[in-house]
Amino acid sequence: MKKKYLNEAFLLLMAVPILLWSLLPIYHIFLFSISNKDSAFSGALWPNEPTLRNFTHIWKQEHFYLHHFWIQIWNSLWIAVAVGALTLAIAACAAFAISRLKVRGGRTVMNLALFTYFIPAAFLAIPMYKAMGNYGLLNSQWSLVLAMVTLAAPYAIWVLKQASDKLPWELDEAARIDGATPLQLFRLVYLPLMTPSMVAIGTYALLLSWNEYLYGYLLLSHERTITLAVALGHFTAADDSPWELLMATGLVYALPPAAIYYAFRRYMVSGLTSGAVKS
Amino acid sequence: MASVSFNDVKKEFGKTKVLHGISLDIADGEFMVLVGPSGCGKSTLLRMLAGLEEITFGSIAIDARVVNELDSKDRDIAMVFQSYALYPHMTVGENMGFSLKLRNDRKDLIEKRVSDAAKILNLQSYLHRYPRELSGGQRQRVAMGRAIVRDPKVFLFDEPLSNLDAKLRVAMRAEIKALHQRLKTTTVYVTHDQVEAMTMADRIAVMNEGRIEQLGAPLELYDRPNNLFVAQFIGSPAMNVIDGVLRKSSACVEALGHRWPIGAVSGGTEGQAVKYGVRPEHVAIGAQGSISAEVVVVEPMGAETELVVKVADATFVITTHGRSDAKPGQAIALAPEAASVHLFDAASGQRL
Repeated sequence: MKKKYLNEAFLLLMAVPILLWSLLPIYHIFLFSISNKDSAFSGALWPNEPTLRNFTHIWKQEHFYLHHFWIQIWNSLWIAVAVGALTLAIAACAAFAISRLKVRGGRTVMNLALFTYFIPAAFLAIPMYKAMGNYGLLNSQWSLVLAMVTLAAPYAIWVLKQASDKLPWELDEAARIDGATPLQLFRLVYLPLMTPSMVAIGTYALLLSWNEYLYGYLLLSHERTITLAVALGHFTAADDSPWELLMATGLVYALPPAAIYYAFRRYMVSGLTSGAVKS
Repeated sequence: MASVSFNDVKKEFGKTKVLHGISLDIADGEFMVLVGPSGCGKSTLLRMLAGLEEITFGSIAIDARVVNELDSKDRDIAMVFQSYALYPHMTVGENMGFSLKLRNDRKDLIEKRVSDAAKILNLQSYLHRYPRELSGGQRQRVAMGRAIVRDPKVFLFDEPLSNLDAKLRVAMRAEIKALHQRLKTTTVYVTHDQVEAMTMADRIAVMNEGRIEQLGAPLELYDRPNNLFVAQFIGSPAMNVIDGVLRKSSACVEALGHRWPIGAVSGGTEGQAVKYGVRPEHVAIGAQGSISAEVVVVEPMGAETELVVKVADATFVITTHGRSDAKPGQAIALAPEAASVHLFDAASGQRL
């Protein structure tokens, strides 16, 4: 008994600093966002006059850097949703073809796609920029959607393929004997059974795009087309950056991912682990 | 309803030959059991009939129509899998009606067929449950229901009872047989369990290493096995087999230092090396008799008693009706029934 308590005490002793360590930056952001411009850098643990004025500034777009806040967060949102949906569509079809239909060469294609992860995304940015330029897509938001789908798809295909490898093969055979065409098999048997993994992968792609900065910065240049992530980067362009507004906006920006993750946490854990390990 | 015929069917996976030319005709309404040890090719043969495996050579016909190039769904067959293969996201009713839905049958018609099948299988109160909420036996019945609603030409069963516990297996065995007697649909049933084969089949095809060793009615195989493999595979406890030398002149086989009686034998030559086989229930125990043995184990079953005995260093199993007062260590004498003895050539294993 005593040993058990000691064990738990030790774990607690470890957990508390780790928790503080990871929560501290978030608390810092929060602190900035409820401070005045003058007291932001005071170093206090709690501002003398906590205020929500920063948030009303954001809401009413009352600052030079915030003039397009609503359109920018909308850009972030629809681009992220489009990336999630497109990635999901591509990955589900690819995983079904590779894992269930056993299309010849399917595995090779998947491995080649995964191979792109050997090259850092930052290096791929230049050729991607060139390609989008050739297609005349620069400064179109679709360029960012396509770029993010390209980055997310290989991992998504891989995870979904691993997950679909685990579906019992007899189900496909039973469906074939029941008279299902491959398309019916996909729609009526495969997709419903893949739902948990699909939710996880869709969320992954969505968040990847929501958090993307570099590609958005490169491919989009108009104030009304850029995403919020890129817009946040502009805050530091001036000498006297409005840190308290930047942090408040950042906090708002972090809320949707937190909400999505919370809503789908059950799928995220089971989905990502079930795809990753082959048992 | 339909007949099925395999015509010199061969199967190769790469260089591995799994089936070496199977020819087999199954009559309309017949219950055919393919039985054999694992790896004998019985499941492969069934899957080829189902359209789940390519046919390397030969042809398979259903109702005289060659189906080699036909998709599974166009063969008008239904299959019950060992793992049930129920769609986990569909209710029992949806599982059973899935094939009808795929062929765009009317909704009321689907409901009627499903409820009819559910009635036959006693599943009416489970139609809205999901497979995960059912016991193994119920799942197996749903799998059968899925086959029944289609009213197919041929039922295929691939070891459907292997995942059930022993008691349930016996019950489902009877249920499947009763179902067949009621629907009279041609059935091909694969199992490795010879008891299932014996109890259910109209005819059995015993398979081994990609060949049919013998084809016939259950008791035909039991009474007159063509070769040593069938002799030892069919029957439980298995037939006792010992090596000996044929002495036609004195109507016996010399083995283990004793003279073992035989009935009238047409084949075989004097002094030929043979396998002497006798089923456990065809050996009487008496005080007299020339073959002395020692009791090793007594297994009382109630209705009958199995004795494991030793003759020299060979082990025999003997079944006696009723109770036995034999004790381990006791010396007894064996008297095989000469007319029920099976003789096989020692080299080829073929019946003499």
